[in-house]
Amino acid sequence: MDEDGETETGAYIWEGEYEKTWEALREDEAGSIQASVDDIVSRAKRRRLLERPADIRLGMMRHLFVVIDLSSAMTDQDLRPTRQHCTLKLLEGFIEEYFDQNPISQLGLVVTRNKSAEKLTELGGNPQRHITAARKAVDMACSGEPSLQNSLEICMKTLRYMPGHTSREILIILGSLTTCDPGDVSKTIKALCTNIRLVNFLDGKIGLCFHQELASYNIRSSVIGLAAEVRVCAKLCKGTRGKYGVILDECHFKDILMQHVSPPPAATNTESSLVRMGFPYHQLSANVASGETPSMCMCHLDGNEEQGFGSKGYFCPQCKGKYCELPVECKSCGLTLVSAPHLARSYHHLFPLDASVELKLSNISAEVSHCYACQVRLTEQLLYQCQKCQKFFCLDCDLFIHETLHSCPGCANKPPNQALNDSVNNRNNT
Amino acid sequence: MQTESGVDENQLHKCLDSIMVFCNSHLMLNSENKLAVLASHTDQSKFLYPKAESATAAAPPSVEPREDVISMATGEESNDSMFSRTNGPGSCGEGKQTSSDGRHELLAQLDDSLIDQLKEMILNDSSQDNILRAETMLAGALALALCYIHRMMKEHTKQGLKSRILVIKAGEDSASQYLPFMNAVFTAQKLNVPIDACLLGKDSGLLQQGSDITGGIYLQIPNPMGLLQYLLWVFLPDADTREKLVLPPRVQVDYRAACFCHRNLIDIGYVCSVCLSIFCHFSPICSTCQTTFKIMGRPGKAKKRKLLPK
Repeated sequence: MDEDGETETGAYIWEGEYEKTWEALREDEAGSIQASVDDIVSRAKRRRLLERPADIRLGMMRHLFVVIDLSSAMTDQDLRPTRQHCTLKLLEGFIEEYFDQNPISQLGLVVTRNKSAEKLTELGGNPQRHITAARKAVDMACSGEPSLQNSLEICMKTLRYMPGHTSREILIILGSLTTCDPGDVSKTIKALCTNIRLVNFLDGKIGLCFHQELASYNIRSSVIGLAAEVRVCAKLCKGTRGKYGVILDECHFKDILMQHVSPPPAATNTESSLVRMGFPYHQLSANVASGETPSMCMCHLDGNEEQGFGSKGYFCPQCKGKYCELPVECKSCGLTLVSAPHLARSYHHLFPLDASVELKLSNISAEVSHCYACQVRLTEQLLYQCQKCQKFFCLDCDLFIHETLHSCPGCANKPPNQALNDSVNNRNNT
Repeated sequence: MQTESGVDENQLHKCLDSIMVFCNSHLMLNSENKLAVLASHTDQSKFLYPKAESATAAAPPSVEPREDVISMATGEESNDSMFSRTNGPGSCGEGKQTSSDGRHELLAQLDDSLIDQLKEMILNDSSQDNILRAETMLAGALALALCYIHRMMKEHTKQGLKSRILVIKAGEDSASQYLPFMNAVFTAQKLNVPIDACLLGKDSGLLQQGSDITGGIYLQIPNPMGLLQYLLWVFLPDADTREKLVLPPRVQVDYRAACFCHRNLIDIGYVCSVCLSIFCHFSPICSTCQTTFKIMGRPGKAKKRKLLPK
């Protein structure tokens, strides 16, 4: 559906036939429709998984700024209890998921109200700091009008100095339908956009022509609208290749928000470089015989509490500074410190699992009675088969494997040379 | 069974006995406890218990939180077994065989099923080459166990189910399994399933990392003859009881990464921003993804173009 509300066939939505959505739901013996609702939700998830394109370079090291609207429109109660509460609650979940899926990335929070914008937290890799700030923001008063240009300027000031190989992003959660800016917001938008000569929009018109003299920082901006679609946000997202979503209700809000957790495709002019990183040694206790004593860690040096004093910690290989948690940037020598599992967490983005094929139980010639992974007896008509190992799975296992596990149990149970032989055979057969 | 460095010929038999006693003890601790046993061989992994026919057992009526322990064992050389324990109270309801020797029905079913399925697995070993490998499909078995736990947790959301995985391993680590293994470990961390590890043979770096990340216990058994004692002492108590016990201390895990070019453990390395592969020294091309990098360093002098002589 494009912006004028037309469907692909050219008719307006209200001109189409009735969608009898109530017929899709079925009641079970107890009268509950929970099972069919779950069914519909899981089918939608499967469809979305299939749509994700493969073999695209992703921006793995991300620097993301989240801009939260705290204007008077956020006191509206269409999301329970207020839009502000709901947004900040979902944001806490988002922050945790973001650092879980992108452990070597950084996040910063910005709020906008009263026609200005202020930074809530600096760009950093410690999730706890951001979650605490988000919790405190629930008590901040919402007033005035948001300012799109000011918030974009604040984010740009920090993001422009980030190294070229990182993926620089802004995510704006806008509840208001207006914005109050000191200057021309289109100039700021142009500065964020990709530096290309011509842009072809979907409806065939040749769009804005960006001048080569203007500085372009290539910052991918996405917007989540809480009220309705706003033209300037749509322009911003189209120009910077971001995603624009308008929510329907709280579940949909969570859905759209979580879509931003996965790394986005890298922009064409993102540099690729070798980043120097340190892998610190974890020490559980001090070796008193060699003269090591407990010490204060560098992350809690500025705090007033006694937290951080001890012998446990990670020691920077370059300057021997002690840190409690990884990943962190060493304060004294500037080296990024990570551990091998952090990088391993991101590997499933680079080696995504192929989608499985949906088959009908009656069409299968082989005797299949149980799901290979969870041993449940297969009663439903639909089965899912992995293309590489030819094993059959039930719907629950298929979703679990694709969303959480990211490895097929059938393929993981094949020794390497046998897997190679099978893939050669499959390629010869097809 | 190979004899090597004084290993007793009956070792597999004795291990199996110890594990069966351990499984029985777990089931006897609480009537609501559940168990599943998996075996991991060099080319396949399989559920030893519960058997697939009885997998459609009805949900038990109790409201207390139950415990579901899945333990996996990888045994000697070419014979790796993974044992996981689950017990469904309804699984004996369908029991076609009733024990005639006075044993507790459930435990009898468990013991018989373990022995029969394991025998079948060993006798039907269809390895095409005669090479005896020591590497087993550990990651595959972990993946199967996690899918089973996921299904059990979904079936028992009202009562709540706390699960854990025990791996009994004697084989060696397989480098090709690193990626699916780490995926399984992160999934276990997300589901709050600790992975305990009981090592009969050499140390396993993979399992050390896995148990550290998920909060499980890692133990390398000094004397395999005392396997049952270690299992009952260290691995039988559940998560709540473990806090009150004095257990073997945490192992110092080496989290350094190995460089892709030499497989050496490095302190400081270079990471490709596109494919996240790790190198120990700077090179202009990434060997994994073939991206070229800008050579960072001394800024060169701009060359002056010489005018061609007319």
